[in-house]
Amino acid sequence: MAKKLKAVVRLQIQAGKANPAPPIGPALAGHGINIMAFCKEYNARTQDKAGQVIPAEITVYTDGSFTFVLKSPPAAQLLIKAAGIEKGSAVPNKTKVGKVTRAQIREIAEIKRKDMNAIDIEGAMKQIEGTARNMGLQVVD
Amino acid sequence: MAEAKWLEISLTVDGELAEAVAGVMDGYVSNGVVVESGVNFYDDEDEGTPFGPVKVYGYLIIDEHLEENRRRLEEALWHLGQIQPLPEPVYRPVMDEDWMAAWKKHYHPIPVGKKLIILPAWAEHKDSGRLPVRIDPSMAFGTGTHPTTQLVMELQEELTRPGDQIIDVGCGSGILSIAAIRLGAAHALGVDIDPASVKATRENAAANEVAGQIEVGLGSVAEVLSGQFSIRSAPMVLANILAPVIIRLFEGGLGSLVQPGGVLILSGILEEQADKVRQTAEARGFTWIDQKQLGDWVALAFRQAS
Repeated sequence: MAKKLKAVVRLQIQAGKANPAPPIGPALAGHGINIMAFCKEYNARTQDKAGQVIPAEITVYTDGSFTFVLKSPPAAQLLIKAAGIEKGSAVPNKTKVGKVTRAQIREIAEIKRKDMNAIDIEGAMKQIEGTARNMGLQVVD
Repeated sequence: MAEAKWLEISLTVDGELAEAVAGVMDGYVSNGVVVESGVNFYDDEDEGTPFGPVKVYGYLIIDEHLEENRRRLEEALWHLGQIQPLPEPVYRPVMDEDWMAAWKKHYHPIPVGKKLIILPAWAEHKDSGRLPVRIDPSMAFGTGTHPTTQLVMELQEELTRPGDQIIDVGCGSGILSIAAIRLGAAHALGVDIDPASVKATRENAAANEVAGQIEVGLGSVAEVLSGQFSIRSAPMVLANILAPVIIRLFEGGLGSLVQPGGVLILSGILEEQADKVRQTAEARGFTWIDQKQLGDWVALAFRQAS
């Protein structure tokens, strides 16, 4: 059905550091999105969150105009912080790189819940646990 | 031929896997990851739900570390694939481009009707004998490339009388208010519930040197009726939104904005929704006078009884 909306583009980028280089340039130019307008607005809205990945979810209209909302940091980033590690395991099915507690999983699920499809907190926790395992983190009580 | 500077790597996966793939990719690509999905509409009220396969992509810089980075990324994806099956990544070399300018290729001057021409903000205005409406495509609907916008402008061209006042409900970029002034209207009131649109209308009005004739404010039908602006009604009212929203606005008093004998132009209506919108307007004392269609989209014009 032909409506005014065309696509949803989610950019996982560093707060305050949006610039026209890839991935932002090619991702937005293809839709006719005003790149400078996006970068200026994103950087202004995220300048106080330097050092974090703050995803922007951009709704693209069929005439190239757009709006965007900021989302909570990706679960993987919150888990890395919680586990006190630098990055996830390159071999998550074999090498475990750290642990997170169920309480930490709950805390992250609370932050992420508004951006997730999970109906309840248990559902959200299950998804976060899945992400943790995919990164080579053990979930402990 | 110039050499590619970037290697795009993409995987098309279902929605549930997207976050995991994006998480892995983020550790190896430059400056972050993009997750892109189409939108679907489950009914007329649905404003768009992300739908279908999701493309997750990022960029590796082509330099002496490329092969090493690519190998490590592929290994990480392979390990993720051991937990949940993944498709093979797809690679595409990408030339360095002036991305600040690249998006502008989507916009060209668009002649509309017999008198108007929509110009992107940066385009030169060669004297085409048409009335220019200059728009900076940005965070407000109404860049001029959408049929719903062009259809209203065609009807405006035929129905605007010199010296008219107009009300533009859901003004977006301000394109219709600016067109109204170009066509001889004396004063336009543009309202929108989105602050980004209010700002865009102000900026576009200034760029077209018609800021003095265009009043802009945050709000909708109720705010105009309550007297928050210089006019509460006008001989011409425009609403380019979406059919279900227009029908709701009628319940909120959209019809009362139109002065007796005045014109109401409605757009953002799909062909199959046109009858319902027409019935809604006619039930409130409006008479159908004209309509225009482009592709699936229809714009309707009505007159209020004198």
